[in-house]
Amino acid sequence: MDTSTVAELFDFWVDEGQYWLADNAAFLFEWLRFVFEGFYGGALAVLEFSPWFAVATIFGLLAWRIVSLSFGALTTAALAACWAMGLWAETMSTLALVASATGIALVLALPIGVLTGFFPKLDHVVEPILDLMQTLPPYIYLIPAIALLGFGPGTALAATLVVAMPPAIRLTSLGIRTTPIQFVELGKSTGMTPAQMFFKIRLPFAMPSIMAGINQSLMMAFGMVVIAGIVGSGGLGETIYEATRTLDIGKSIDAAIAIVILTIVIDRLTQGLVPSRKDPR
Amino acid sequence: MITVGARKAEPGPNGSRHEPAGGAMLGSPSNSDDVLVDCRSLWKIFGSRASAAMKAVQERGLGKTEVLKEFGCVVGVANATFSVRRGEIFCIMGLSGSGKSTLLRMLNRLVEPTSGEVFVKGRALSSLDAAALRELRARHVAMVFQSVALLPHRTVLENAAFGLEVRGVAKAERHRAAEEALRKVGLGDWLQRYPRELSGGMQQRVGLARALAVDPEIILMDEPFSALDPLIRRQLQDEFRQLTKDLGKSAVFITHDLDEAIRIGDRIAIMKDGAIIQIGTPEEIVLAPADDYVAKFVAGISRLHLVKAHSVMVPVERFRAERPDVDPRRLVTTTPDADIDRLIDLILADPAPGIAVVEAGRLVGVVTVRSLLLGLKGSPTPELAPV
Repeated sequence: MDTSTVAELFDFWVDEGQYWLADNAAFLFEWLRFVFEGFYGGALAVLEFSPWFAVATIFGLLAWRIVSLSFGALTTAALAACWAMGLWAETMSTLALVASATGIALVLALPIGVLTGFFPKLDHVVEPILDLMQTLPPYIYLIPAIALLGFGPGTALAATLVVAMPPAIRLTSLGIRTTPIQFVELGKSTGMTPAQMFFKIRLPFAMPSIMAGINQSLMMAFGMVVIAGIVGSGGLGETIYEATRTLDIGKSIDAAIAIVILTIVIDRLTQGLVPSRKDPR
Repeated sequence: MITVGARKAEPGPNGSRHEPAGGAMLGSPSNSDDVLVDCRSLWKIFGSRASAAMKAVQERGLGKTEVLKEFGCVVGVANATFSVRRGEIFCIMGLSGSGKSTLLRMLNRLVEPTSGEVFVKGRALSSLDAAALRELRARHVAMVFQSVALLPHRTVLENAAFGLEVRGVAKAERHRAAEEALRKVGLGDWLQRYPRELSGGMQQRVGLARALAVDPEIILMDEPFSALDPLIRRQLQDEFRQLTKDLGKSAVFITHDLDEAIRIGDRIAIMKDGAIIQIGTPEEIVLAPADDYVAKFVAGISRLHLVKAHSVMVPVERFRAERPDVDPRRLVTTTPDADIDRLIDLILADPAPGIAVVEAGRLVGVVTVRSLLLGLKGSPTPELAPV
């Protein structure tokens, strides 16, 4: 058989597979879309319900408590700048998308990470999938996803899930696996049950690694929501996409600044939450 | 700090330091109630073909190197048999790679023996299910680690209460017990500190308090003081021995330092290449090393406080034959367990040709300057033997 025929055949079945999914699994994707947009809508409602200065102040106070007073002031000022640029609604929409996507990603990724941490043999299955998720160019799955999940935040959220899950899975698994051996021995020699071993020994020692995973998930999600502007994510991603299409460079820079501000604020906040061994008080 | 009485080599509070022929324990299965831990022919072979290697060892008597060559397996512990009595501190001394840590971990089944059996309080460990094994570890056999392994995000008090927390003891009760244990090791004022605020020696005290808080009968000590500086180490050794004796605990103590084993142990087992090559009291090990390997270790050990009058005295008849002019009954007297340090003092204070050793009112031998010097030098000579 000619190689080109094999390739044609492969492409044919990929297309057929997608049609079949669209025809026969529509209810599943309807349901997924409903769930995704439900989470997104809920997060957005909370953020939109509050006036901009309230949100900016709350983030400022959080940043003060978690990081420092100066960073708190900077956070409030930076968020006020987003409002001043006329991008407040878009910024909140992006934040809602990132928060809901990362939330769903963690609900899935943390248990998977814990499982692969305990059963390294699962790596044979999980590793290739994670490699695929992290290396596949986003456009490859963004466009077909429109056919299944429709144009809108549902698809954007699904695409964000794809990039947000791998770091959380990998770092959770790593954290569970690298419990210092002397503490495993301590646990066993004091007669711990497996559950006690997990909650009192493995999880506390894995915590910094897990938090680093959560932080990385958020960062990947921020990267993705901009690309997802192409499938109607709404928010800053869509603003950038529209502005770039119409060569409105000024507007696209504004939106880019807003996304950078949001990313830095969330990054520092989640990093500050990592339990610090140096200062446990 | 704990005040430590001047324990040189006097018998411990329960007198277990002077037992006749400790070496005879080797291989003698003892069913007495006094035996807390009884190990019979323990083997540990590491490697994927361990059971085949074990079979070959039993059937063909392969040695360590043959097992490695033929099966690619490492013999960790080879045919270890010993028992630990109630109230006894049993030291296992060996260099790194001698299998002592593996042997210790078989006593609470952190390591499964490839062959042989461990009895703790008369119960075979291999017969315990997971729940019974947890129960045994939580209540009866506590362990102290070289790395200390204090949880960094918990206070000293919470760390000391850890074993009781695992057992499900209520907070107030376990904190009370932990505080008591911490006071015993001299850390009563440090309850709310974090481990990183403590020095290495203090951290190991917390490790010991954590083990004591669960009130176990047996404490397994895995080279607990090896990482400490010499002064602190000696202090902790004395405190540990005193505390263990005062509380009536038994301990199996792993060390690579013969000085430490002699300072702490009621009996010492010496390991080499996975096998126990000698078991005995410190005095027995020093005076009668089983082979050249043990003799090399013993060479540098000070005998001043270790060797007793009964080991350096000449029999009465021989003394009479040598010195018919002296009546041994008129010499200055001492007891059989007076150490060499004491004997030197007596000889210096009195110009008489010897010191009479009297046990229960009966003259059992005479220490002369010559016999003292021979004993101090450590060469066993026929001169000291009965005629």
